[in-house]
Amino acid sequence: MEQRNRQVLVAEDLRKSYGPRPALRGLSFSLDAGRILGFLGPNGAGKTTAIRILTTILEPSSGRFLVAGVGSDRPEEIRRRIGVLPESLGFPKHVTGHEFVTYFGRLYGRTAADAQAKAVALLKDVGLEQRGRSLVGTYSRGMRQRLGIARALVNDPAVVFLDEPTLGLDPKGQQELLALVQWIARERNAGVVLCSHLLMEVESVCDDVVILSVGRVVASGTTAEVIGGAQRTALGQNAMRIRVAPPSVAGARRLLEALPNVVQVTSANGTAPGWLGVELVAAPDPAASPDPYRNNRILDALIRAEIPVLGLQTAGGRLQDVFLQLTEGEIE
Amino acid sequence: MSNAQVANDSRAPSSRSGAPTWWIVFGREFHELWVGGRALSLLLIYSLLLGIQTYVFASNSELSLIPPNEMVYETLKGAIAVGLFISLIIGADSISGERERATLEGLLLTPTSRRQIVIGKFLAAASPWPAAFAIAIPYMTVLAQGDEVLRPAILWGAAIGTVLAPAFTALGMFVSFWCNTNKTSLFISLGIYILFLLPAQLPGRAQTGAMGSLLQQVNPMASHAHFLSKILVNHRTVAEFWTWLLAPALLALLIFGLLFLYASPGLRLEAGRARFRWSWARAAGVLACLALFGSSPAMALQTAQQPLQVAIDLDYKVVKASDHVLFNTTLTNNGAEPSAPLIAAMNIINLNAKGDVVDPEDWSPQRTQYTEQLPAGGSATLSWRINAILDGDYMVYMVVIPQPAGREATSHPVASSGIHLTVTPFTRLNPGGVLPYAIGGPIVVLVGILLIYRYRRREIDAGGAK
Repeated sequence: MEQRNRQVLVAEDLRKSYGPRPALRGLSFSLDAGRILGFLGPNGAGKTTAIRILTTILEPSSGRFLVAGVGSDRPEEIRRRIGVLPESLGFPKHVTGHEFVTYFGRLYGRTAADAQAKAVALLKDVGLEQRGRSLVGTYSRGMRQRLGIARALVNDPAVVFLDEPTLGLDPKGQQELLALVQWIARERNAGVVLCSHLLMEVESVCDDVVILSVGRVVASGTTAEVIGGAQRTALGQNAMRIRVAPPSVAGARRLLEALPNVVQVTSANGTAPGWLGVELVAAPDPAASPDPYRNNRILDALIRAEIPVLGLQTAGGRLQDVFLQLTEGEIE
Repeated sequence: MSNAQVANDSRAPSSRSGAPTWWIVFGREFHELWVGGRALSLLLIYSLLLGIQTYVFASNSELSLIPPNEMVYETLKGAIAVGLFISLIIGADSISGERERATLEGLLLTPTSRRQIVIGKFLAAASPWPAAFAIAIPYMTVLAQGDEVLRPAILWGAAIGTVLAPAFTALGMFVSFWCNTNKTSLFISLGIYILFLLPAQLPGRAQTGAMGSLLQQVNPMASHAHFLSKILVNHRTVAEFWTWLLAPALLALLIFGLLFLYASPGLRLEAGRARFRWSWARAAGVLACLALFGSSPAMALQTAQQPLQVAIDLDYKVVKASDHVLFNTTLTNNGAEPSAPLIAAMNIINLNAKGDVVDPEDWSPQRTQYTEQLPAGGSATLSWRINAILDGDYMVYMVVIPQPAGREATSHPVASSGIHLTVTPFTRLNPGGVLPYAIGGPIVVLVGILLIYRYRRREIDAGGAK
């Protein structure tokens, strides 16, 4: 791992119990400025509890954390240094977006004039400059999320927590919001904790990942490290899926079945048309390193036969596979 | 993490912006309450109720026999009761409602202290009371018909309401503090309000006697109503009945202590409060509130005993029902020895009803008066007041009773000459004259709602509030 020199969030063995039921069993991780951390876990894994502890809404049963050098024993000081978009943040209906952000700016200690200027700038940053003077009650879900992000940035936070920011947004809205998340990290140099169920989006924007299961950290590191480990596993798992254009399915199937390392080819039922499941010959020695070019040779055969390849998935090669593998059967 | 260097933050904005945080929270909450329309809707209902009550007073032939001071008293009592209900339910919505609407979390995530959030919310939630009382003043004015009761009614209504309305707001907030949903909070608050009203619904006998009196005195709703009735209707003095204001004052102190000292620092996302850290100052504050509240019944029961007086310097008088008559009596000791202590008692006889005795309780603040021994040749002057309640022909006279020397002694009461008092019928209110007020009040509030809506619309069209 590269040398980290600006840690803005450090959690050390955070634990939380609700009566006899443990919700968090020793959460430790760190986040650097300018990086995005994906915070993952199935329902009930302890994500919300962890976020609420880190944002000082809840007190941990034990453990501590630091935000921009400020210890968890100084919650008010921590709140000055964080920005949060909770999962289901409510918005007052009778204020404009501009008034809403200005109000929170003032609560963070800005003067009225400063808070207004900040609100104008932030609304522009999040793409709401045209609707800043409209009542929040008239905003769409996506606009409200943007407004929530503007509110979260009003104090120029060192760490921004975003809990399911893309929930309920259409694909375009999701894409725009993720671009905004990246902008927060890259341009504003804030550490971003992104809590999401949409693993594709986490994979696409996050630099680091922490996966929780039943209150425990089951994987952590850079996204590449976590997925890379899974890819190595996948290569030893002897399975892949290929999607070809529907008219070429029969031809592709015949071609694949004729290849030396292929055991069988099946139609992948229940998925989009054109997907074929390919089972490969198992390596004679499971302990030996798998052939890294095996998938390339199969793809090469299809390309040479001029069969249009629309997609390729290797089992375990995605964050989703890692997530399912690590959290399988552990949802309480 | 060992090779890491934790970043020291230099971006956190300063905590001082000139305006205190509670003021900023108050501004937002006030805007939400008034511009959002909740307060105005409640005030519209309130003004409708007052309008109906006023019209009923003016049009009902039975009720119109009530003199102006009683009508003003009843209107003031109703205005305070409904005003307190509005304060209670707005308070009950203030925290649990924010939890339900998921807007509280955003507020808790700011570096604002929990207590300042609660103070700001409290001030906003208490803001409808002055408006509610202002709405009641025209109704009381029209019912008073120029009677001098109006001034003390406004004064005492403002004073008592200004203590009780914030107390009820704080009570609603305190309930709201411990509730996750508005439904629960409003239900509990409504239950508390009904409990406060309940003693007044007990049978007449249950309201008298030691227990009944205690219940009335410790109940802030009943005790303030009793105080107002004695001051405004019976023209009694504040010195006699100030103890009836203890319960409202102590309720306010207790609930403010609980809300601001105990609960507010622990405001959190879920119902209830975060772990409480006792300090000597907090413990002392809470104990002081409890001690004050606990002592209220005992203090309230210490009704001051007033010395008694009697006098006659009037032969006859013609007055209108609801007017009053003032006169003096002079007691003179014509004997050679000092007199015994003297008791002067007022009697009123209805000459139209075959000599029925009129209960002077309703007619005069002084039924009997007591004076110490008079030296030989000495005299004492006592002042009296009679409120002409009902029209008719009356005789008012005094009886002076020397205190008997012992158990086996008696004395000879001496009767005074009488005052022939003729009370002419009360000038009834013209229901048609009251109607503009009864309808006008709600219309004024409605116009206020429309003006605020228009102002807000223009403000938004012009680019939002500054």
